[in-house]
Amino acid sequence: MATRELTAPVAHVSPRATPVADTWRPRRGPTMGTVLRHLTLIVFCVIILFPIAWVLLLSVKSLPDAYQNEIWPTVFDFSHYAYSLQRIPTLATNFWNSVLVTTGTVVLTTIAAILAGYALVHLRTPGKAVILALLVASLFFPTRVTALIAIWDIQRRLGLINVTWGLILPYVALSIAISVFIMRGMFETIPKDLPDAARIDGAGPVRMLLGIMLPLVSNGIVVVIIVNFVAAWGEYLLAVSLMNDQSARTLPVVLASASGGMGAWVWPRIAAVYVMAITPGLVAFSIAQRWYMKGLQEGALKT
Amino acid sequence: MAQVVSAYPSGRGPRRGRRLLGWFPVSWLFLLPTVVFFVGWQIYPIVEVARISFTDYQFLRLGQQVNFVGFDNFRRALADPLLQQGLLRAATFTALFVPGMIFIPMFVAVLVDRVVNQKVATFYRLVLLIPAMIPGPLVFVLWKWMYDLYIGPINWVLVDVLGIYTNRNQPQWIGDPQLVFPSLAVMEWWWGLGYHTMFFLAGLAVISKDLPDAARVDGANEWRMFWDVTFPRLLPIVLVLVVLRFGTAMAIIDEYLIMGAFQRDRPTYTWTVYMFETAFVTGDHNQSYAAAIGWIGAIAMLVVVAGLFYLFRSRD
Repeated sequence: MATRELTAPVAHVSPRATPVADTWRPRRGPTMGTVLRHLTLIVFCVIILFPIAWVLLLSVKSLPDAYQNEIWPTVFDFSHYAYSLQRIPTLATNFWNSVLVTTGTVVLTTIAAILAGYALVHLRTPGKAVILALLVASLFFPTRVTALIAIWDIQRRLGLINVTWGLILPYVALSIAISVFIMRGMFETIPKDLPDAARIDGAGPVRMLLGIMLPLVSNGIVVVIIVNFVAAWGEYLLAVSLMNDQSARTLPVVLASASGGMGAWVWPRIAAVYVMAITPGLVAFSIAQRWYMKGLQEGALKT
Repeated sequence: MAQVVSAYPSGRGPRRGRRLLGWFPVSWLFLLPTVVFFVGWQIYPIVEVARISFTDYQFLRLGQQVNFVGFDNFRRALADPLLQQGLLRAATFTALFVPGMIFIPMFVAVLVDRVVNQKVATFYRLVLLIPAMIPGPLVFVLWKWMYDLYIGPINWVLVDVLGIYTNRNQPQWIGDPQLVFPSLAVMEWWWGLGYHTMFFLAGLAVISKDLPDAARVDGANEWRMFWDVTFPRLLPIVLVLVVLRFGTAMAIIDEYLIMGAFQRDRPTYTWTVYMFETAFVTGDHNQSYAAAIGWIGAIAMLVVVAGLFYLFRSRD
C-alpha cells in the first residue's frame, strides 16, 4: 500500500499522462505541421545515427574496401574483431584494464552514494549543510583540471603510477558529487512518515535502508550506475596522465593514440576495437533504459 | 539550482540520532565512504595545488630545496601571453558552444513533446540518447575520424560524392584554425543533444497544456506562443544549463589533447592544455607554475559563474 502511494505523485510528472492535452489536434489525417515535425526529428535521428553506423560498417569492411571510402562495403569481413583482440599487442589487456577499473568504480561509487543519500535525507546528520555545500561547490569548480597535478602526486606517493586499479580511487571521486545528488533526490521522494513508522516498529537505520527504502530508490540506482559507468569507461585525462605503459592503459587512451591506420592498426581493425569499446555501454543502456528514463524523471534531473 | 536546504523543514527532523561512543552519530558512518573519496581526491588535491602554487617546486629538479615564493608564480602567469591567450581561446569556444547546446535541444524537445504517439515519442528519445551512452573521449575519437581527410566520411561526401571540393582544397576540419572550433562544437552538440533534450522535456511535461491551448484559441501563432508562453517557463532550466555548460566548456581538455596536441599557435592550445604541458611535458615539469595556471583558470571561471548566478537570481 505504502509503495503505491509513493510512486503516485511521481507518475503524473511523466509526459503525456493526460490524454486531454491533445484535444485541440485535428483528428483527421496528419497536418502539414505534423509531417514537418516528424521529418525534422527523423533528420536529427539520422545525424545522430550516422557516425555510429559509419564506424560499424567500417569495422566489417575488407582492407581494400576500407580505403575506397564507400560507406557500404562490397564484401563483409568480420575477421577484424578476432584479429584485433588476438594479434594487436596488449589490446586484450587494455580491454581487461577498462573492465576492472570501471567495475571497481561503479560498485564503490554506487554504494557510497546510496549510503550518503540516505543519511543526508533520512538520518539526523550533524554537519549536513557543510557537506552539501562542498558537494555543490565542487560541481562548479573545474576540479578535474585544477586538481590533476596533486592527484598525480598522491598516486605517485601511494605507488600507484602505472598500477591500473589505482585509477579507481580518483575515478570514484570524479562523479561522487553528482551520484550523491541523484540518490538524495530519490530519497527525498520517500515521505518522512515511512521511516518514522518503521522507527517506531524498532527498525534500525541499516534495516530501514536495506529492507524498506532500497527497492523504492532502485530507478535512481540505475541512473547512478549508468552515469558512473560512462564516466569511468571512457575516462581519458587521468588515465593518460597516470599510466605510462601501454599494458597498464585503458581502452580510450589506446584508441585515442591509435591513429594512422598502419600495420596492425589498419582502419577496419581500429574501428572493430572502437565498436567493442562502445558496445557494453549501448547494450547496458538498451537493457536498462526503462528504469533509466524513470529514474531521470523521478529525481535525477532535479540537480 | 541544486537545493542545499535540508529535506526536513527546520525543527521537524527525526528527533534523536543514534550515537556511538556517546558523541559520534551513526549517520556519519553512512557518509564515511563518500567523504573519504571526496576529500581525498577532490578537496585535498585542490588545496594541495593551491599550496604548490606558492612554491618554486619543479618535479624533475630532484633533491633541490623547495622554497616558498609567495605570489611570484601568479604574477608571472598573469603577465604570460600564453595564459592570457589560453583563457581567451577557451572563452571563444565557450561562446560558440553554449548557445547551440541550449537552443538545439530546446527546439528538438518542443518537437518531441508534441509527438502524440507515445511509442514514437519514446523511439525519438532513445535514439537521441544514444550518444550520451558513449563516453566523451570515445566520442572525440570517433569524430576525429569523421573529420579525417583520408578516411572521414564527411569529406568523402564533399569530395567524392558531391564534388564540391577537390582533394587539394577540401576543408581541414581539425587542421584549419578557423574551422577547428566550429567542428568541435558540432561534435559536442551531437554528443549532448539527447541528454539536454531530456532536461527540456522534463520541463515541458509540467507545463499545463491548457495554457498554450488558450493562447492558440486567441489566434497567437506558434512562434509568438513559444516565446510568450513556453519559453518563460523553460527559463529556469536554460539558466541552470548555461551555468553548467559554461563550466564544462571553459575547462575542456580531453578534446584538445586528443585533437590538437601541444601546438601553441593553434586555437586548441587553451589554458588547460598549457597547464598540462607545463606540469607533465616540458622543461623540468614546473608544477608550481602549472598549479598557478590551474588556479587562475579556476578563479576566472568561478568569477563568471558567480556573475551568472547574480544575473540569473530570481527576481520574484
